[in-house]
Amino acid sequence: MSARDKIFDALKDRRRTPSFFPVPKVNHSVFDDRVAIFSQNVKAAGGEVVMLKNPYRDEIVKHFPKEGEVVDTREEVSSIPYKDEIDLAIIEAEFGVAENGAVWIDPKERYPREFLTLSENIAVVLKKDAIVDTMHEAYGRIDLFGVSYALFMAGPSKTADIEQALVVGAHGAMCMKVFLY
Amino acid sequence: MKTSFDHAKSAARFIADKERAHWHDQALWFVRQKRDKAVKSIPEMEELRRAAEEIKSHTMEYLGYYLELFEERANANGIEVYWASDASEHNAIVAKLLEEYGAKRVVKSKSMLTEECGLNPYLENLGIEVTDTDLGERIVQLAKDHPSHIVLPAIHLKKEDVSKIFSKYLHTDPAKSDPEYLTHAARHHLRRKFKEADAAVTGVNFALAKEGAFVVCTNEGNADLGAALPDLHIACMGIEKVIPSAKELGVFTRLLARSATGQAITTYTSHFRKPKPGGRVCVVIVDNGRSGLLEGENSKTLSCIRCGACMNTCPVYRRSGGHSYGYVIPGPIGSVLAGAKDVSTYASLPFACTLCASCDNVCPVKIDLHERLRHERKEAIKVSKYTSKRVFLHMAAWVLQRPGLYSALMATMRFVLPHIPRSILYNRFNIWGREREMPMPAKKSFKDLYNERTR
Repeated sequence: MSARDKIFDALKDRRRTPSFFPVPKVNHSVFDDRVAIFSQNVKAAGGEVVMLKNPYRDEIVKHFPKEGEVVDTREEVSSIPYKDEIDLAIIEAEFGVAENGAVWIDPKERYPREFLTLSENIAVVLKKDAIVDTMHEAYGRIDLFGVSYALFMAGPSKTADIEQALVVGAHGAMCMKVFLY
Repeated sequence: MKTSFDHAKSAARFIADKERAHWHDQALWFVRQKRDKAVKSIPEMEELRRAAEEIKSHTMEYLGYYLELFEERANANGIEVYWASDASEHNAIVAKLLEEYGAKRVVKSKSMLTEECGLNPYLENLGIEVTDTDLGERIVQLAKDHPSHIVLPAIHLKKEDVSKIFSKYLHTDPAKSDPEYLTHAARHHLRRKFKEADAAVTGVNFALAKEGAFVVCTNEGNADLGAALPDLHIACMGIEKVIPSAKELGVFTRLLARSATGQAITTYTSHFRKPKPGGRVCVVIVDNGRSGLLEGENSKTLSCIRCGACMNTCPVYRRSGGHSYGYVIPGPIGSVLAGAKDVSTYASLPFACTLCASCDNVCPVKIDLHERLRHERKEAIKVSKYTSKRVFLHMAAWVLQRPGLYSALMATMRFVLPHIPRSILYNRFNIWGREREMPMPAKKSFKDLYNERTR
């Protein structure tokens, strides 16, 4: 008997089609000022929110100390040397979540997935009316059937593995700013 | 693990260094406080816990259905699915996938399952280099140690210890023990490992049946970076990791990080549904005793989402350290899982528990942990190591059922006990007295005093 058969045999009483599906009913928080709560939570996650009327590349770059290799993923991305480090990646987020400051990023295979972690700095561009209250609305909005790889990112990469001291920049971005327009 | 394993003995070694034990207790209490703060900021927390509990028990009820659906949908998305009955099958599958690929260097993000299966030593024996990329795990890997906590693997080590380990292996300045300096040294070291890697191994936090996708949560981004660079991504999961669909993630993503570290959400909550262009994603689904657990009294432990909240709150864990449990998962949940796996080896664990039930109150999926541990005690007392305790308890029960005999015996004890030499009173069969002082009986019993007063 294969391992698969053995496992399904052990689960033979648990293979019928469910007669119901649990619908998590949670009366969750609703925020009056989603932009303010979102900004507060991005900050708590170690990031920063910048209000920018026109999120042009040149405007965004000014908010980072030094200009090295900049990739604006909103434009056609090509000929980036594979595995090379990028100084700044500009990335469009589809929406943000007020309760935790996370942004939903779906690269849609338009740019390599590693841009999101190899880049030293991340500039996330987000429409300020695209912020939902909680993760319940967030998942109500996502259609994963159209996704290959996508993620919620909340602030820069971090760790507290040494004596519970929070250190920013474990593996991914050292600095993450969200530009609201 | 030897059958002589004893929690009290290994905990004694930990608390011998009083200062360090106190520091450990405080470090974990700090995490527990962060959790409290995060949880209190959500008025609907109790509703979330109830919803999570319901979703998990529903999924367990139909586990076969959801696993089959996951496999079918994942395959349709171009993800390969492999099945393993036990740890050795799991390791063999991973090794075969790597060898077919000619992979010599593997980057691995945190996965308690691969710890449980002993994947690292297995692969290393085959000449494959495995690099744990989670900072805490890398620290314990370099130290040839094991994680002492499922979320904070190196919580038992101080920054000076890390400095010593890093100066030896990463050639950092031994005089420096600043966490930022050490973390960035590890970042630099691990970046190279990522770039050289031929394959990545990750765990799975949630597998989504309907979407045929899986979610991995990290704060460091190591799972994302590892999975993005090399072309082969192997994700290992226990059969209990599946949930019906992405919709339920609304509940779990709100609970996981808040319960674990007090963050509102993990930094990276990443959804893998299709391999990257030109890449390959393989999911290995492991039973290793889980389907058996599903049929017993401890089935609810399969709802665990591995947040570690029960460890951070546990007064025994905080004061005895994760290694004192002798099992891959320590603390309250680990004690139940260990006992369910091998009751004779881990018989001392349920007795380490004080049954204070603090763990029940913080568990995001409402596992009745202290009831499980009480149940484990019933099993553990049958182990030969506890024969004297068992015999004594049976005797006590027999006496307590006979009030006349009980008062006669107590009257004798009140007279005799103060005169028995310590060496006899604290004999080797007196397990209770090993760590405790026997109370000296009062001169008169409560009953005597009561009768005197009402006379």
